[in-house]
Amino acid sequence: MQVNQARNSHGKTHGAQDAQGADLLQLVSFHLGGEEFGLDILKVQEIIRLQDLTRVPNSPDYVEGVINLRGKVIPVIGLRKRFRLEGRDHDAQTRIVVSEVNGGVLGFIVDSVSEVLRIPVATVEPPPRLGKVDREYVSGVGKLDGRLLILLDVDRLMSDAEQATADKIAAA
Amino acid sequence: MMSNEMANDAGLLREYLVECEELLQQLDQDLVALESAPASADLLNRIFRAVHTIKGTSGFMGFTPIVGLAHHAEDVLNLLRKGERKFTRRVMDLLLRSLDNFRHMMRDVRAGGLQTYALEDLFSALKALAQGQPEPDRPRLGEIMVVQNVINHQELSASLAEASQSVPPKKLGEVLVEKQLATENQVKEALDRQAGAPGARDSARTLRVDVAKIDDLVNLVGELVLERNRLLQLSRDFSAQAIPAEKFEAALTHSAARLSFITGELQTASLKTRMVPIDMVFRKFPRLVRDIARNLGKDVELLISGEHTELDKTVVEEIGDPLVHLVRNALDHAIEPAAVRLARGKPAAGVIRLSAQQEGEYIVISVSDDGAGIDPQRIVRKALEKGLVTEERLRSMTPQEILDLIFLPGFSTVEKVSDLSGRGVGMDVVRTNLKKLNGVATLESAVGVGTTVTLRLPLTLAILPALLVRVAEETYVLPLHSVVETLRVRPIEVHRIEDREVLRVRDSVIPLVRLRERFRLQQTQDGDGKGFLCVVIVVVGQRRIGLIVDQLLGQEETVIKPLDGSVGHIPGLAGATIGGDGRVRLILDPTAIARNRDEVHA
Repeated sequence: MQVNQARNSHGKTHGAQDAQGADLLQLVSFHLGGEEFGLDILKVQEIIRLQDLTRVPNSPDYVEGVINLRGKVIPVIGLRKRFRLEGRDHDAQTRIVVSEVNGGVLGFIVDSVSEVLRIPVATVEPPPRLGKVDREYVSGVGKLDGRLLILLDVDRLMSDAEQATADKIAAA
Repeated sequence: MMSNEMANDAGLLREYLVECEELLQQLDQDLVALESAPASADLLNRIFRAVHTIKGTSGFMGFTPIVGLAHHAEDVLNLLRKGERKFTRRVMDLLLRSLDNFRHMMRDVRAGGLQTYALEDLFSALKALAQGQPEPDRPRLGEIMVVQNVINHQELSASLAEASQSVPPKKLGEVLVEKQLATENQVKEALDRQAGAPGARDSARTLRVDVAKIDDLVNLVGELVLERNRLLQLSRDFSAQAIPAEKFEAALTHSAARLSFITGELQTASLKTRMVPIDMVFRKFPRLVRDIARNLGKDVELLISGEHTELDKTVVEEIGDPLVHLVRNALDHAIEPAAVRLARGKPAAGVIRLSAQQEGEYIVISVSDDGAGIDPQRIVRKALEKGLVTEERLRSMTPQEILDLIFLPGFSTVEKVSDLSGRGVGMDVVRTNLKKLNGVATLESAVGVGTTVTLRLPLTLAILPALLVRVAEETYVLPLHSVVETLRVRPIEVHRIEDREVLRVRDSVIPLVRLRERFRLQQTQDGDGKGFLCVVIVVVGQRRIGLIVDQLLGQEETVIKPLDGSVGHIPGLAGATIGGDGRVRLILDPTAIARNRDEVHA
């Protein structure tokens, strides 16, 4: 499932408005540990099926490995591990969300990807106390027909992770 | 009509014309070359000499207008040569215009005699340059953009009016961007063009390639297309069941072999387009050596060989600094003053040899001198003094290992810090630079006889000949240039010294690293299942370490891909590559693995 078209019409989709003229946020929604998450569509490069992973020795445990994405080597992060959720076997629904994070390209393993959503910016609320996910990686919570969407800030998520890697290597 | 007794001597005239024609041709080439290397002292000197010769001979022949032009051009060139004026597009234009006028006049001379020429414009422009006046008549920004078809004349005049009327006055570029007539980048590009420094575009990004090399590429691509057609045909025949299975198999095998051959050739040919002769680096050394030797009051001869050896452009760009360092070292520290040399029974003039040659997939560059050589005792003293090594460690070191201490950071044996070398950075810089190129530096020295530093570099950086090994379930890639040998040993041959595993190979003791443990892979028994251990001996600097792997899978040429992204730097890994099955394979970095071993046990 390629979502590049959405990216190409940059600006137009992002600043989209609904019939009432309210600003809309376009999100790719995915499931992880029973919760529904949303990721800004401009951050998502593509969504691919799970591939053969090459494990990277001595990397942080949430780095599941690296994959070959059309000749480019990109690291793949297990989002469950990153959020310290309990592990789960990969199945036919498992997807890798390929995103641009802090100038690089990364893949995130998620339980499943559901759809592309538009939600009015006005309905997004600041992050409440969450049980499962550290709230500093959450930019807000969106509401859509009674569903709750956790909006993820992947840049912050990974820059903290990078720091953690550096610390770990320094400590080793 | 001008005439002169000399000019009437037909033989002399013919000689004059031939000489000038050659000089003009050379000037043409050199001026163009100068555009891509504006700071090249060699080129500037050659151009200056050529113009000077034209002036001299023309004066002898009595061709005053040619002398006049040559004189003015010479003034400008002289400033360029001394670095007092920068080489800009305008300088280039005027020099080329002078060249055209020389041609024109020569043609007239050949046709019977010089005419009168209206060269006042050119003369005054050259004079202005020679007097160091700022360059006038820079093309205007708006005109450049019109020429580039970014905007038209009407838009330009409207924007100019707007720019001057606004309070405070705006710049034309700002107005154009505001009115969305041009993008910021277009304005920036035009500004660069206006600044007009030739080669403002990064010259390192362009490459001059011999047409023959391109032709090879095109031919190979042609063959590739033919082979593809054959394969497509074969596939169609097979689907239509128009071909018996055994015939299909034979044809497929044949086709695969051809494809593999052509791809290999294509790979070689495309890499060759990146190859440039090392002469690009070597050529600056005669001058360097002469100047430094004179400075030091030493008599030194520089012998260069193998300057036509070709190597990757990146390597050529990176190898310059280490070489300058080595040659300076030789001049400064190694070659003795003439009096000392004579006393030692050597010829008064020292010799430095700079050579390059290809050995298989490697380029070997060496810098050798017939100087004093390196005294191991001095290295030992120095290393102890600086606390770079313990006495205990020294006792177990071989003479070669002692010499190699010179490559350690912070090592410099010369007491007197000179202008040239000996600031304590020294040889470790050479080794570090070389490591970037996947190269190795080795040093041999004999007291009183001389020193040779040998640099061994891969021909190209794009393709890495590699050894594939299996550890647990994973396939890893080891750069072949660091692999010395592979061994199968029985576990009983592995000894322990102070808690470290080592292996005795012939007369040396080699420390071992179990990659399975190092990479925290699942703990099953090491080995190939038949009771043997596979050990890959790699060279790290001057040391050797043995890596224990489960299986040797063979040799392959791999293409290096950076391993970046947000996982951070993982020690022990140099990058990644993609295997025949499309999976990512990790490239190991033996140096980091060895370093880690030292640290863990320190």
